[in-house]
Amino acid sequence: MSTATIDASQQRTGVGADYLFLALPIFATAILIALVLFDRQPASAGLILGGFALGIAFFKAEFSFTGAWRRFLTKGDAGGLLAGLIVIAVAALVIVPVAALSPKFGGAIAPLGPSLVIGAFTFGVGMQLANGCGSGTLYTAGAGSGRMLLALAGFIVGAVFGSLSLPAFLALGGINPVIASDYFGPWGGVAATLVSLALAAFIIALVAKRRGGGITPSRKMVIGGIVIGLLCIAVFYAGGHPWSVTFGYTVWGAKIFSAFGFDFSHAAFWQWPGPHHALESSILSDTSSLTDFGLLFGAMAAAAAGKPFAAGAWPPARSLLAALIGGLLMGWGARLGFGCNIGAFVSGVASGSLHGWVWFAAALCGCLVGIRLRPLFGLSRD
Amino acid sequence: MRKVYIAVVGIGLALVVVQHLSSPSSGRAVSPEDFAGACAPCGAPCPVKQ
Repeated sequence: MSTATIDASQQRTGVGADYLFLALPIFATAILIALVLFDRQPASAGLILGGFALGIAFFKAEFSFTGAWRRFLTKGDAGGLLAGLIVIAVAALVIVPVAALSPKFGGAIAPLGPSLVIGAFTFGVGMQLANGCGSGTLYTAGAGSGRMLLALAGFIVGAVFGSLSLPAFLALGGINPVIASDYFGPWGGVAATLVSLALAAFIIALVAKRRGGGITPSRKMVIGGIVIGLLCIAVFYAGGHPWSVTFGYTVWGAKIFSAFGFDFSHAAFWQWPGPHHALESSILSDTSSLTDFGLLFGAMAAAAAGKPFAAGAWPPARSLLAALIGGLLMGWGARLGFGCNIGAFVSGVASGSLHGWVWFAAALCGCLVGIRLRPLFGLSRD
Repeated sequence: MRKVYIAVVGIGLALVVVQHLSSPSSGRAVSPEDFAGACAPCGAPCPVKQ
């Protein structure tokens, strides 16, 4: 389960640790943890460390939603796609009941409507052009892919434009979040979520069988899925909400735009209480930014532990252009679609929220378009 | 590419530290959905409340 950009198996052929790039992320992480602990925020330190562990886990497991979805759509190989469902199943065992029973915790919920569908579809197109999703962009950029560093920059800019577009798309209408625990109770909600995952796995396996593809995830994928699922629970415990990635990008972008004089005081999105608070406050008081920083540095440390870091040449210009455009589309789509593979799909379904499945279906359709566009940028459809 | 990474991490970390130290301390880290009226992880309101 790998992206085209990073392959942890290459570590075994490396010449040893790259101590500069091993020390750099550890030093940066230590600085961030010191800052939040100085403010007496141990939970924030927990989020940074949770993100750091996620970065290592993603890198070591070569966990990629983008590549797995593409293999399913082009070859019928469902192993990677099914491994992603393991992450959700593990996380749902805790998130659904705790979010329903404890007022200190909340699930990743979102309304259903045109904004969700359009955003997720656009995200799907972008993730195939960029060759990475929300978490994938972060960990591959952290692990030394300069191409994905460009995708991340596009993602950040796109997310800001998405924040400006979202209110208009929400005005098209929609219905309130549909949450399993509201209908079936905390434990019935867990059961309903697991049944929905089993049903999805059955349909995916059926399609794969008919297309002659495999359905068995590799051992590395299964272990990676379980570990990432457990880390999702740890992040949920530390932050009070399921793991999300892309709101952090949006805040980073808005702060950068603000520094260059852009005025968000008339933008409806940035007047809503949550985004307004995030824009006015320290970047280290935003939960998604904390895990994002941790994940970036965790992946960097994991990559530098085995071989010279970022020693490869820059890819061709057309590939870089695809990364930039893909990042822009993902950023815009993530805001309209209420998140990425993590915040909307993984955390949404693991919270028993129907919007997670709607997001998945729309993003998968977007991936079909994205895959068709890849050759325009010199990228393989496989 | 290594020089780019050193620059990105160095400048990025410096910006985060300066931004943190110059911002009002808000206590515990929060998510937009912690605020009243939020209906999505980004803090968007529910459709019926618009």
